[in-house]
Amino acid sequence: MALPKTWQSFLDETGDMSRFTGRFFAQGFKPRYEFSEFIHQCFIIGFKSLPLIGLTGFIMGLVLTMQLRPSLIDYGVESQLPAMVGIAIVREIGPVVTALIFAGKIGSSIGAELGSMKVTEQIDAMEVSGTNPFKYLVVTRVLAATVMLPVLVILSDAISLYGSYLGVNIRATTSFQLFFKQVFDALSFSDVWPAVIKTFFFGFAVGMVGCYKGYNSRKGTEGVGRSANSAVVVSSLLVFIIDLVVVQVTDLLGIN
Amino acid sequence: METVQETIRPPVHEKVQEPVITIRHLYKSFGANKVLADFSLELKKGENVAVLGKSGSGKSVLIKCIIGLLKPDSGEINVLGQPVANLDHDELDRIRVKVGFLFQSNALYDSMTVRENLEFPMRRHWIKMTPGESSDRVMETLKNVGLAHTVDMMPVELSGGMRKRIALARTLILNPDIMLYDEPTTGLDPITGKEISKLMMEVGEKYNTSSLIISHDMNCIRATADRIVMLIDGKCYADGSYEELKRNNDPKVKQFFE
Amino acid sequence: MMAKRLINNVKLGVFVIAGLLLLILALYMIGRDSNLFGKNFELKVQFENVQGLTAGNNIRYAGIQVGTVKKVKIVSDTLIEVTMLIDEKMKAFIHQTDLVSISTDGLMGNKLLNITPGKDGSPLVKEGDILQVKKVASTEDMMETLNRTNNNIAVISDDIKRTVQRINNSEALWKILEEPTLPAYLKESMAHIREAAGKAADMANDLSAIVNDVKNGKGSLGAILTDTSIAKNLDQAVVKIRSVGDHANELAEELSAMTQGVKNDINNGKGTVNALLKDSLMAMKLQSSLTNIEQATAAFNENMEALKHNFLLRGYFRKLEKQKKKDEAAASVKK
Repeated sequence: MALPKTWQSFLDETGDMSRFTGRFFAQGFKPRYEFSEFIHQCFIIGFKSLPLIGLTGFIMGLVLTMQLRPSLIDYGVESQLPAMVGIAIVREIGPVVTALIFAGKIGSSIGAELGSMKVTEQIDAMEVSGTNPFKYLVVTRVLAATVMLPVLVILSDAISLYGSYLGVNIRATTSFQLFFKQVFDALSFSDVWPAVIKTFFFGFAVGMVGCYKGYNSRKGTEGVGRSANSAVVVSSLLVFIIDLVVVQVTDLLGIN
Repeated sequence: METVQETIRPPVHEKVQEPVITIRHLYKSFGANKVLADFSLELKKGENVAVLGKSGSGKSVLIKCIIGLLKPDSGEINVLGQPVANLDHDELDRIRVKVGFLFQSNALYDSMTVRENLEFPMRRHWIKMTPGESSDRVMETLKNVGLAHTVDMMPVELSGGMRKRIALARTLILNPDIMLYDEPTTGLDPITGKEISKLMMEVGEKYNTSSLIISHDMNCIRATADRIVMLIDGKCYADGSYEELKRNNDPKVKQFFE
Repeated sequence: MMAKRLINNVKLGVFVIAGLLLLILALYMIGRDSNLFGKNFELKVQFENVQGLTAGNNIRYAGIQVGTVKKVKIVSDTLIEVTMLIDEKMKAFIHQTDLVSISTDGLMGNKLLNITPGKDGSPLVKEGDILQVKKVASTEDMMETLNRTNNNIAVISDDIKRTVQRINNSEALWKILEEPTLPAYLKESMAHIREAAGKAADMANDLSAIVNDVKNGKGSLGAILTDTSIAKNLDQAVVKIRSVGDHANELAEELSAMTQGVKNDINNGKGTVNALLKDSLMAMKLQSSLTNIEQATAAFNENMEALKHNFLLRGYFRKLEKQKKKDEAAASVKK
């Protein structure tokens, strides 16, 4: 192979990850279904992430509003602040920032958890105990991440907008009703749908990468740490790549 | 539903003809590294056999092939009359209910309490029982390993020896016919190791199991095994009781007894 | 453990339901703005240039949000058809003659369509009707006009400057302006004019009274047609008409009295406004009176003509004519 070694290992890993994803689709939708474990993972991945994601969302909305205000005042369109912040949050910042925080929290925890389970033979123990560990561990987590991230993004968007409302009220006064009227006047379905749909892909990517890295963790505690770390790096990168793809697709479909 | 087998275990010295594990001409390699090459072994009912070998000699690979976690390249493995390598997932599960596997690293589920750890195999093998029955079974098994008080603790709160006992309890809870021990005393201090060895003998009597012990800890093997198989260069290099092997003058065998 | 798991599941349920509800709420609010849920109907309008209007822009009727633009379609190189989605309830208000224009929300906001109420009484719109476009100055047009206005103002201000200079330099004008008696004279003249107007008004008033009398006379005339024995009355009526001339004298007197009254009013401080008010009322009365007179006279003539042809009265009228001729003859003899 004339390829440099880094390229070789990159392609090798990409292929491995694709095969892992293929295995998810091959096994994920056949019985037996690990429903109660799926619900349990939804609770851990979704509900337990809410405080962190809510806090970041709130700060994001507040800061974005305060940062945008001077520019809008320069153009004399300060009254457009809610509309602008609303579109920015719903279309891009809410989904992407939430997905990145999610990748940091969930990607690393899945990577570390599955990594240490692999290293301490818990995955083998599961298999011996009559459980398909791929279904029990990977499918449930990937599905939970896929389903929970959109919910988190919606809640985060709402909290962000509330933060933005407070941000507007620091320097000016607007009523809650007027603020949300302005926001929703500026929004259309084509702003919401692509944003919601891409969060499913974000969640899937984060779950998949976290599980892949953990499931294929190398022996030793260092391997576990590396799994967690590379799960965060790769899934954050994937979030941006998916975002890029989604924006191209929606542009091609003319939903912008 | 599984019940505790009431059959009385025959004495060891009486040769029982029925083999529970038969391995013939087993080959397994990882890339260029031939781990197992033409390995054969027979474990008879009620027998306790130890497989002795150096680290990396393929002991763990052997035991994982027996339980179906690894597929051999060639050769035949029969467990309780079933060819493990050719079974589908469900059939393999039915065999695994009867085979207990004590992992080297215990493999206790960190996110679950001791009770949940013990309940897990019962739940996963679809063994139907009421919550009361299941709780009774958990407590009984824990009592057998002497750790009834830890039932609601998390594995991280326990010491290494206790974790080994809990792991043992988890494999015993399904009343297995065969026990596979993967380096049961590795990582434990000699005293705890001796306790574990003693416990293995006790539960072997109580649950009437045949066991295959993989270890390089001669003290443990001496205490638990009726027969020792030397795994050297991927095959069954020597075979015999502790005393017999100790008298063997082959340098490869001898190094284990120095 | 089971209880804890149950509580966790409940928390998860609340979490997911909250998220879904928020999504549904957001979609509903957006949908309500773009009229996707209520009942709607479509109207069309055709522009030469839509100035960047796109699907989703708002439509207002007399300033109220009533719908959104559904589609913008190019029909030909000079014609663009815009389909509007409008709230069903507005069917009761939008007429076929209503006009549509494109404007901007604020100075830099989105484009929107304005429907301006047109003529009253035209039929209400139906599904798919095409409304007319109202010509509105676009920003560019406005700028152009502004430019022209600026040029004009420059010219005008030049002229004003020159005029003022000339006024300043004119001695005669200043003399007139500085003359102290002039305002007094002017005031007096105004008073005279007002007085004359007042008199005219009074006259008109009396005239209307007279016309009323004439009208009543017409009533009796009607009776004549059905009753053969009223010739005498008729005679009297005619006499009365003749006596109008006499009344004229009285009228003149009354007029002067009236004028006096108006003068008093003014003197008593009731003010010119009051007087003007009176004036306009008078004028109206005058006009209606004159119309009445015209009508009445015409009717009278007709009646008279009819009477002449009536066999019953033929004799009477002949006598009347003879008498008239006699009188005339006498008059000419006297002369």
